[in-house]
Amino acid sequence: MVAKVKIATAWLDCCSGCHMSFLDLDEALIGLADAIEITASPITDIKEFSPVDVGIIEGAVSTTHDEEVARNLRANCRILMVWGDCACFGGICTMRNLFSKEEILRRSYIETESTKNGKIPSSEDLPPLLEQVKPVNQVVKVDCYVPGCPPSSEAIHYALTELLEGRIPVLPSEIMRFD
Amino acid sequence: MNEITLTIDDKEVKGKEGNTVLEICQANGIDVPTLCHLDGLSDVGACRMCVVDIKGERRPVPSCTYPARDGLVVRTNTEQLERYRRQMLELIFTERNHFCMFCEQSGDCELQKLAYRYQMDNVRYPYTFPPLPVDSLSDYLVIDHNRCVVCGRCIRVCSEIAASHTLDFGRRGWRTLVSADLEQPLGESSCTSCGACVQACPTGAIFSKLNLYKGSTSDCQQITTVCPICGVGCELNVLVKDNNIVRIEAPRLTETRGPLCSMGRFELLCQNHPRVTSPMLRDNQGELKECTMERAIEVTAEKLGELKDGFAGIISARIPNETLSLFHKLLREVVGSDLIDTLDGESYRIIAEGISQFSLTSPLPSRERNKVREGLDIECPIEEILEADCILIAGADAKKTHPIVGTLVQRAISQKGAKLIVVDSSRDVFPLWTDLWLKPRAGSEGTLFNGLAKMIIDKGLVTPGKAKAALIQFLSQYDVNEVDRATGIEAKSLEMAAEMYGQAERGIIIYGEGLVQRDEPSFITSLLNLADLTGNWVDGRLRVISLKPAANSRGGWELGVAARDIKQDRLKGLYLLLSDDEEDKELLGWLKGIGFLVVQASYHSPATSIADVVLPSPIWTEREGKYVSMDGRPLELKRVLQPKEGLLQDQEILIELSKKLGHELSPS
Repeated sequence: MVAKVKIATAWLDCCSGCHMSFLDLDEALIGLADAIEITASPITDIKEFSPVDVGIIEGAVSTTHDEEVARNLRANCRILMVWGDCACFGGICTMRNLFSKEEILRRSYIETESTKNGKIPSSEDLPPLLEQVKPVNQVVKVDCYVPGCPPSSEAIHYALTELLEGRIPVLPSEIMRFD
Repeated sequence: MNEITLTIDDKEVKGKEGNTVLEICQANGIDVPTLCHLDGLSDVGACRMCVVDIKGERRPVPSCTYPARDGLVVRTNTEQLERYRRQMLELIFTERNHFCMFCEQSGDCELQKLAYRYQMDNVRYPYTFPPLPVDSLSDYLVIDHNRCVVCGRCIRVCSEIAASHTLDFGRRGWRTLVSADLEQPLGESSCTSCGACVQACPTGAIFSKLNLYKGSTSDCQQITTVCPICGVGCELNVLVKDNNIVRIEAPRLTETRGPLCSMGRFELLCQNHPRVTSPMLRDNQGELKECTMERAIEVTAEKLGELKDGFAGIISARIPNETLSLFHKLLREVVGSDLIDTLDGESYRIIAEGISQFSLTSPLPSRERNKVREGLDIECPIEEILEADCILIAGADAKKTHPIVGTLVQRAISQKGAKLIVVDSSRDVFPLWTDLWLKPRAGSEGTLFNGLAKMIIDKGLVTPGKAKAALIQFLSQYDVNEVDRATGIEAKSLEMAAEMYGQAERGIIIYGEGLVQRDEPSFITSLLNLADLTGNWVDGRLRVISLKPAANSRGGWELGVAARDIKQDRLKGLYLLLSDDEEDKELLGWLKGIGFLVVQASYHSPATSIADVVLPSPIWTEREGKYVSMDGRPLELKRVLQPKEGLLQDQEILIELSKKLGHELSPS
């Protein structure tokens, strides 16, 4: 029996919609399960990366923690694939780039209409925001991209199948979507 | 133009001298991607998507601005060009906010389509995230500069097609913004909300609030129909999804009759008065109560039969020909009454009388004579406005009542250098565009036109053979000094106007309700004389256009529905087929004195509230039929929405009524 392809996934600044889209593969997951093994992932709730064949990132890089996760996964995988518009381009998360970090925190934690006596969280356990939200390829090298908000299950399936067949996937125009 | 031969992608293709390389590619089915190009607008080479290699050029050139020459060797699809195009796209994406997931235009966006085509799954450059404003204060339009690719299509359509010249580029370099009148908010600018920019914008930078998130083009059925408002008769492309209108577009935006005005594109979507959903009958207590259709028709038929020639009919000129003629037949043949008019019949009678007086003195060319119907064919099509070198507009607020005529006037001025003379006793209807504003005392317009004719003869600016003895004799009473006194316009201005119009090669006269309402057919005769004297004939028609008030004014007039002024007669009953038109105050006052009033209307209104019988009527989206534009073009009103179940068409009601009266009317 051929060894299964090991995969680790991570989500950064995102809504988890891309992972949901992956789970939306439904019965196709059963077929994939014969060929891949998911190690560290929000799905398995394993957080420590061990070396894998394919690393997958959903979400934009927004905090120092995101940066670290991205670098860590990059270091542990042979091929890094990113899912979704946030990871590919920055996406909706970059809306905050039009404002300074301070403005964003003040607006979110103090000025929101429903907030009374708000306070900007300052625990050491919380990773600080970066000045700018970035797509993943501005932090680590990315090998392949599956854009979409979220990408359709079809697009994710296409990309995984291509990888399993030894090709670096580039989505054909017909299934590429940015929304 | 000379034919030229080029080699494009190893294929020999033909074109004409004066074509661009892009035009020849497109004519020969060679697919070159574009973004800032829009068919019918000038090209500027802003986006660089259409770059091609041309043998002998050191670098790729934009094909949209490159003049084709005989013998050019062109390549459109090398690997390098495709790489450049993708790179251009990536740079466009980094410049502003082009994230599709929260964009109204996603699915209808040309930038997005190009990115898919070039499989742009990532961007290699840092994004700039410039903080840019959104202008959402105008009634219908929003400009979101964050979505703009600075292609300038909106600016070109605003100047070249809408002739509004509101939009332009402001600022410089990467700070360039589309700006309305030197960065005024759109709602406070000279923008007329015609919406041409919305249709021309390739992205989600300019869009309408009315269409927001209602659906994208691919979800919609598209139906080409005609605008039911003014007499110009613009074609509309109505996009419909789930029996709702998503938006209205111009089917041929960049053609002469192509652009729409804010009434056709937007106001039609804002008609939300309460509908008449059930027939109503006034009961013994004098209250208007809902009733069955059967009963409403029975009562109406009974009264029609009883009052006979004392029963009159007035019908809206928004109603298609088929219904107009059925209405006419019902009253004339079935009821036996000749008291029939359209809502705008008064205008017709004055214009027709003016034309007929003119025809008596200056017989129409014989070829024309046979096909002249009530003389309306004496007027030229509105396309002639664009050919004019002098435009005299009298008593017509064209920009307000017939905005596309206003657009053509402004195009003739800005693109062809035409001169504009406005004759209006209250205001300059084309501020900033007018060369000469003549402000005659109200009612002295006839003297003004005759005075101008006299001056044109005196100055020797008449076309030989046109100044007939009778006319010269008639005009001899007009002395410049007296005209000056009678009209209150100084002699210098009169001289100037006579020279401007008299010297023009293709002078055109446009007149409208302001003049017609003076109730003096001779004013119209004078205008026609003026055009005839100066030889302003084109294809057997005079370069004169009357702005007819409603979408099917001409249809009704040609069918003879507007032949009589019935308000002079004492009548006992009235059948008002108003449909989705509006009654004016004067009519309403008159309606109040009528013994038995039937109102067939789409919306509740003061007229329905005083009616004895109210019959429901479909609105423009729910009916179909033939229209005639004010310049005589046959048009087809199509049904775009399914009416509510049970709503009868106007003709069906008319047929039911005739049946009750023992006649079998058939729809023509």
